[in-house]
Amino acid sequence: MNPILAGLKRCLLAAAMALGAVCSHAAPVTVTDDRGVTVNLPAPPQRIVSLLPSLTETVCELGSCASVVATDRYSNHPASVRTLPKTGGLDDANVEMIVALRPDVVLLAISSRVTDRLEALGLKVVALEPKTYEDVRRVASKVAQLLGAGAAGERLWQRMEAQVSHAARQVPAQARGLRVYYEVDSAPYAAGESSFIGHTLARLGLVNIVPAQLGPFPKLNPEYIVRADPQVIMVSARHGGTLPGRPGWSGIRAVKDKRICAFTAEEGNVLSRPGPRMGEAAEIMARCLKGIVPSGGAR
Amino acid sequence: MRWWAWAGGLVVLSLLLCGVGLSVGSTGWSPPWQAQGDPLAWQIAWDIRAPRCVGAWLAGALLALSGGIAQGLFRNPLADPYLLGSSSGAALGVALFLVLVGVSPVATGILVRMGLTGAAFVGAVLAVLLTLVLSKGVQHTLRLLLAGVVVGVVLGALTALTMLLEPDIMRAMQAFMLGTTGFLGWDSVMILWPMLLVSLLVAWGCSRALDALSLGDAAAISLGVRLGLVRVLLVGALALSTGTAVAQAGLISFVGLVAPHLVRSRVQSTQGPRLVLSALAGGILLLAADILARWVWAPLELPVGLLTAVLGGGYLLWRMHRMGVTS
Amino acid sequence: MTTASVAVSAVALSARIQSVRLQGHAILHDISLDVPVGRWVAMVGPNGAGKSTLLRTLAGLQPCQGEVQLLSRPLAQWAAKAKAQRLAWLGQAESGADDLRAIDVVMLGRLPHQAWLAPPSVQDEAAVQAAMRQTQCWDWRDRPMGQLSGGERQRVLLARVLAVQAPIVLMDEPLAHLDPPHQADWLDIVRELRDAGVTVVSVLHELNMALQADELIVMRHGRVVHHGDTHAAAAHQALRQVFDDRIDLHAVGGHWVALPRSAQRPVF
Repeated sequence: MNPILAGLKRCLLAAAMALGAVCSHAAPVTVTDDRGVTVNLPAPPQRIVSLLPSLTETVCELGSCASVVATDRYSNHPASVRTLPKTGGLDDANVEMIVALRPDVVLLAISSRVTDRLEALGLKVVALEPKTYEDVRRVASKVAQLLGAGAAGERLWQRMEAQVSHAARQVPAQARGLRVYYEVDSAPYAAGESSFIGHTLARLGLVNIVPAQLGPFPKLNPEYIVRADPQVIMVSARHGGTLPGRPGWSGIRAVKDKRICAFTAEEGNVLSRPGPRMGEAAEIMARCLKGIVPSGGAR
Repeated sequence: MRWWAWAGGLVVLSLLLCGVGLSVGSTGWSPPWQAQGDPLAWQIAWDIRAPRCVGAWLAGALLALSGGIAQGLFRNPLADPYLLGSSSGAALGVALFLVLVGVSPVATGILVRMGLTGAAFVGAVLAVLLTLVLSKGVQHTLRLLLAGVVVGVVLGALTALTMLLEPDIMRAMQAFMLGTTGFLGWDSVMILWPMLLVSLLVAWGCSRALDALSLGDAAAISLGVRLGLVRVLLVGALALSTGTAVAQAGLISFVGLVAPHLVRSRVQSTQGPRLVLSALAGGILLLAADILARWVWAPLELPVGLLTAVLGGGYLLWRMHRMGVTS
Repeated sequence: MTTASVAVSAVALSARIQSVRLQGHAILHDISLDVPVGRWVAMVGPNGAGKSTLLRTLAGLQPCQGEVQLLSRPLAQWAAKAKAQRLAWLGQAESGADDLRAIDVVMLGRLPHQAWLAPPSVQDEAAVQAAMRQTQCWDWRDRPMGQLSGGERQRVLLARVLAVQAPIVLMDEPLAHLDPPHQADWLDIVRELRDAGVTVVSVLHELNMALQADELIVMRHGRVVHHGDTHAAAAHQALRQVFDDRIDLHAVGGHWVALPRSAQRPVF
């Protein structure tokens, strides 16, 4: 090629890169949410309303907590979001209030009912809903994309993965391979192998009594649990004391050996959200296992 | 066919269904007597399946009895524990008890269950009284039903508000709202059967008065019926049976409405036998729904309230179709 | 019951009522009434005169400002069952009980005589059968009330009242839905009762039937305008008066008959 043309090309390239470097602080952001809708913003959002606790936590983990102007009623982590205005529950968000806050973007779950109304009122809405373990990675990178933070999402994911691996190493050897039953709700709803909780349990080396083909959060016949005879049971503290009284449950290994992890409401919040705190969730579970497995005493 | 022949038939059917119930579990059809060398089988049958079958039957009988009493007392074929607001009152009682005492709705221990039952009973009584006050007596059917619906909705909203303010109990109450026979144990049965006995005795004792009442207040009073006393006793029995059933098994729809209608459409009798037969039919209905809930999708379990709505609603639709055809 | 009260009581029902209010409106005013034992008294008057209300008050079904005495004892002092054995009531257009059989409804009339939850006795069965034969509904005693016509239903309800075998019978519009043969039957029944010493008070819309009674209570605007012998001229005068002179009374074959008087043509 003509050396002059090649030189011109190089100069143009350099100029473009310099220009790009200058403009990167106010670059427009584009993200395709979980509905397949592409949302374009002229710049990373400075005013964010988040209507899902895990999304709130993701935004804060990525360092943009200051941009969050309001959250839903249940977002309570980190502590700084507790003082923010609350726009309602997951189903009954206060549309007027959201609009009055003039957000640059609204983050919410796909199952939210206010999406259409907010978009009709001219707001930009990004619908993301992490349900499985892999979802969290995808959602983290999408939120990072939205915040113009580039690879921060992937870094968040790696940090969390490392936390989970670290927690897995804390689990005592005797605890590996034990059968576990994780109760999400007293109906009883269990966390199955294919749920995000089940994934963490598997990483910690436990065997879930609920296989993947039963779904992520099946409502079980209590008899199934008695038959499966788990060696460890994880349940909320409110129900922990009632387990021995349930018909037929006093014979379950975990109940007999008192290998029951009863989580407080705070811990329950961490454990039940598929978000950036899954690493912390793994640590909570590992801590409990350490406490109950060697000595066999109650937590 | 005389009514006691029907009663005998329903008892036999109940026993057969209990046998089926003992055979259905998390692995589908698995009768304990066919399980060779499975040490758990008989234990599971006794500890889990047996009290669940008996408990479901008793709860269904209580709901149907309360529906039959309501239909007789208010001279209205649409009356049922739901429509008079008593179920919502019982649920609110349970929710407030959970918040104040801090236990789980499926907690065991006879004292806790009695406490829950008591709270549900109080809630049910207050709800029915509120309905009666709003409708200014039972004379006007439409007003009575409207009042009952209003009370049911308002108390349901209060229950939802309680759950909102105490999110801790929300999950537990949500399952409760759809009916939970999953954890019925022998201690629940210990509460259910005496309450059924008491309610049946009261209902039977007032059955002649109910017959007289079917001709109107004036006719009943002129025949020497002590209307005030009878009303108090029957409303008490209504609230007791509704409250007990709701406290043990959650909110289960349709049983109270459909079982008395089923009986009325097949058997001609006065109130006394009809109430007994309604109780038997209700027990069978709920037991059947519970068995289906565990069998259709084993080891997953459907909410039993869903199945009673399907079974009961389906039956009502069929009846309406038949009525349309014959009239 | 002492011998004194047995001998003296020639008054079945007596009422001294200042007023009876329904939903805030005063329906009856200043009633002073004595119904003698063993007589058939017919209560007549234009619509809205308060006949049903007065009958209900006499039966103790309507609270009033004043006092009603049954067999010389205030109503309030009677126990429910004892009162029910002495006073039988047939209301206007009693609806309901569609699922009960005719015989079950008539058996309800024996409630005042039955011990609580006791099965029907031989006397109960006999009384029910006699009453149903009297009103000619015995043949279809097993049919549910919901399948009966208006007239058949009324006969069953009548049988219920008769089954009580009470010394005082109060009936409000007992002839509703009854065709002439059955109206004639009713007349025979009432006369039999009266001859047996039963006191009958009936609110009747049918003036011609009322004029067969022993005594007439004529009402208008919530007051008793006249109470006396049916054949007396004063009774006829009162009747004509409350119906605004739109009726004529004639003697036909030994009985009095009321005919409407047309406003157009002169009476013949």
